[in-house]
Amino acid sequence: MDWEGKVNAVQEPGKGMHAEHTASLHLPAPTVWPMVLGLGITLIAAGLVTNETISVLGLVLSSMAAVGWFRNVLPREKQEQITVPVSAEAAAQASAQPFRSPHTPVLVRPAYSFVSGIEAGLAGGAAMAIIAIVFSWIKFHSLWYGINLLAAGSFIGWTDAPDSFLSQFHPQGLLAALAIHALVSVLVGLLYGAMLPIFPRKSLLTAGLIAPLLWSALACSMMKVVSPILSERMNWWWFVLSQVAYGLVAGAVINLRVKVRSAEFQALPFATRAGLHTDAKIGKDEGRR
Amino acid sequence: MMPPQTAGAMTFDSPPSHPKLWLDAVNEWFTTVDHKRIGMLYIGYALVFLLIAGLEAAVMRIQLAVPNNHFVSPQVFNRMFTMHGTTMVFFVGMPILFGFGNYLIPLMIGARDMAFPRLNAFSFWISAFGGLLLYFSFIGGDGLYGAGTAPDVGWFAYAPLTAKLFSPGHSTDYWILGVFLSGIGSVGTALNIVTTIVCMRCKGMTMARMPLLPWLYLVTSAMVFIAIGPLTAAQMMLGFDRFLGAHFFDVQAGGSAVLWMHFFWIFGHPEVYILVLPAFAFANEIIPVFSRKPIFGYSAMVGATVLIGFISLGVWAHHMFTVGLGPAGNTFFTLATMIISVPTGIKIFNWLATLWGGKIRFATPMIFSIAFLFQFLIAGLTGIMLSAAPFDWQLGNSYFVVAHFHFVLVGAILYMIFAAFYYWFPKMSGKMLSETLGKWHFWLFTIGFHLTFDFMHIPGLMGMPRRIYTYEADRGWAVWNMIESIGMIFQAAAILIFVWNVVRSYRHGEEAGPDPWDAWTLEWSTASPPPHYNFAEEPVVHSRRPLWDLKHPQAPDSDYE
Repeated sequence: MDWEGKVNAVQEPGKGMHAEHTASLHLPAPTVWPMVLGLGITLIAAGLVTNETISVLGLVLSSMAAVGWFRNVLPREKQEQITVPVSAEAAAQASAQPFRSPHTPVLVRPAYSFVSGIEAGLAGGAAMAIIAIVFSWIKFHSLWYGINLLAAGSFIGWTDAPDSFLSQFHPQGLLAALAIHALVSVLVGLLYGAMLPIFPRKSLLTAGLIAPLLWSALACSMMKVVSPILSERMNWWWFVLSQVAYGLVAGAVINLRVKVRSAEFQALPFATRAGLHTDAKIGKDEGRR
Repeated sequence: MMPPQTAGAMTFDSPPSHPKLWLDAVNEWFTTVDHKRIGMLYIGYALVFLLIAGLEAAVMRIQLAVPNNHFVSPQVFNRMFTMHGTTMVFFVGMPILFGFGNYLIPLMIGARDMAFPRLNAFSFWISAFGGLLLYFSFIGGDGLYGAGTAPDVGWFAYAPLTAKLFSPGHSTDYWILGVFLSGIGSVGTALNIVTTIVCMRCKGMTMARMPLLPWLYLVTSAMVFIAIGPLTAAQMMLGFDRFLGAHFFDVQAGGSAVLWMHFFWIFGHPEVYILVLPAFAFANEIIPVFSRKPIFGYSAMVGATVLIGFISLGVWAHHMFTVGLGPAGNTFFTLATMIISVPTGIKIFNWLATLWGGKIRFATPMIFSIAFLFQFLIAGLTGIMLSAAPFDWQLGNSYFVVAHFHFVLVGAILYMIFAAFYYWFPKMSGKMLSETLGKWHFWLFTIGFHLTFDFMHIPGLMGMPRRIYTYEADRGWAVWNMIESIGMIFQAAAILIFVWNVVRSYRHGEEAGPDPWDAWTLEWSTASPPPHYNFAEEPVVHSRRPLWDLKHPQAPDSDYE
């Protein structure tokens, strides 16, 4: 008996089916954490009009709720199994192939690796540094200009220092630039490592051109607000070139490690590519549910 | 405990019942992520706040019943109108409409739950706690006037009255925080509704076959995304002013009081439509079923809804004509406000066309719906009057405006909420509400409503300002205020009958069965109350009225759509 048959049976008692088949389905399990999080946030706010300790209590509750909620859904969503009556056809299908909720974890295939993100960041950072050095040599006949310009992010007084000063070697400038460059390169590399497997189509175009252009546009517009003097000293065309070099190299490393451009990888469902544990063989209709 | 729905072996949609400890029951409600239970939590919580807000209104009406009255102090009176307005909009209107949406949308589109069940629970709880925090102000805080610190700055909290200088203590802070928290919940629920409707419709349910209720909730939710943001931003700015000494709204330090008005009404006017669109949604479901005809002009109804949603975002400054907007502002907002009556008029004509030639059944949900049509028309007409800037200059901030928006909020929205309650209570509880008590509820409430709000226009036209604490006898307002207050007694009696009807029917009411109204949408295809999983098998629909198709296989709608 299909859905329509069941409805007829509900609507017209007595004409219903008498032979019943059952199957099980999974629904999200009850959890107290959403309520605790709501209470925690409310108490944080209430502390503003009562006593600070109330806010501290709210913060503790919110933190517990956030962890509890996180563990409620990852690595596998907690569900409760419910037995429901199904039609004979559905029951036969269920016995041939066990019922799986779209949320049921079957395939665990990690698509994301921290190591590949760090490697990509370091390799991209090296490529970017080469472009920066080439720029310094061509424009200022010095290896150090670009490095010191980056270090000016840490040393405010260097922002409007003369070109001759920035073209000289300064050990503290080298250390500061290395620290900034390594940190940002690795962070962006981790971001690439996370994002490219999620959006694998035309990954090199995304990594090597679209992302660098978007980032350059953002950096350019922000720099004009944050430090107009430094913004004027930047050569944005070379900046874009260095970003593209970073993106291409970092993207290539991710591709080598994760094979994001392979047909097999691109055929995986979005949730699997995104690093969530799910059923790789999920059908189109099931995916909508 | 859910009883079996049908005879014989047909017990498939009702889970087995076991006696439960009350603590287990409480635990189930506190931890539930089931959309139906969350919907009922929303509705129950809103009904409690409805009673509280009603009591606050009663206090105001007693105070204004006779001239020179001192039933309450001016401070308490200020708190009453502030808390009444805030409660009705944020803690009755929004939650009850979200409650019905939560309950009905997955059932109507053939889904098992909302898209994000845990976010759904969180949204409810943070809204509920926001309301509790607001009301904690009566007993908490600094004891500003020696009797608690409930907010007293009006429900739209105009600057600079909200500045620390004019509102010391924490009363206004409670208003900011309580409403801010409820806003978080509103956005969460709107996100859930949009995702559920877009992603979880059953097989065959294209957007063009979707019932109108989910359609209207989709537009409402989109409006929530746009409208709540400015209010939340403004509340944060006000919080910065009050807690950190910022000057966003401090006119003496270069801030702007008018800026607050803009922020508030960019939220506030779409909010009226956020509240009224779900009421329209209920009318779209109830009027056809009790007229025994499909809705007239489905596509036009969808189009009108989208137009209302769009235009409503551009009419906010008609609340600010008295500020002095200048010729361009006055002209634009007058025209925009008048234009919104076009799609609204389309809806009214379509409902009338649905009634026309129908085999009308005057059951309680239907009589509330018919009253809604009449009263909403009156509200629209006074709205058009107020949309003309010169008219508004004369009557802005008067009791005429109060009467106008109570025709919208009570005459239209609350009436449709009652209609929805009578219509879907059997689905939610498995029991029918008493028709006799329902009719008493309707007639007493309608008499009371019209005594109160029809006559409220008159002192408004005579110049009685809103929020006035008391008045002199020689103003000529006394008789009208007395009539309004007598109307309140009828309304209070009607509400008590309603509460009694709910309690009595839930315990001893007639069994509803799955489809007591012979309706056509999917929620009536499952048991009453529905099982946890809603549908044992995924529904498949072929038209806008899937149950009609099943009941009338010889003439299904799918042949004509």
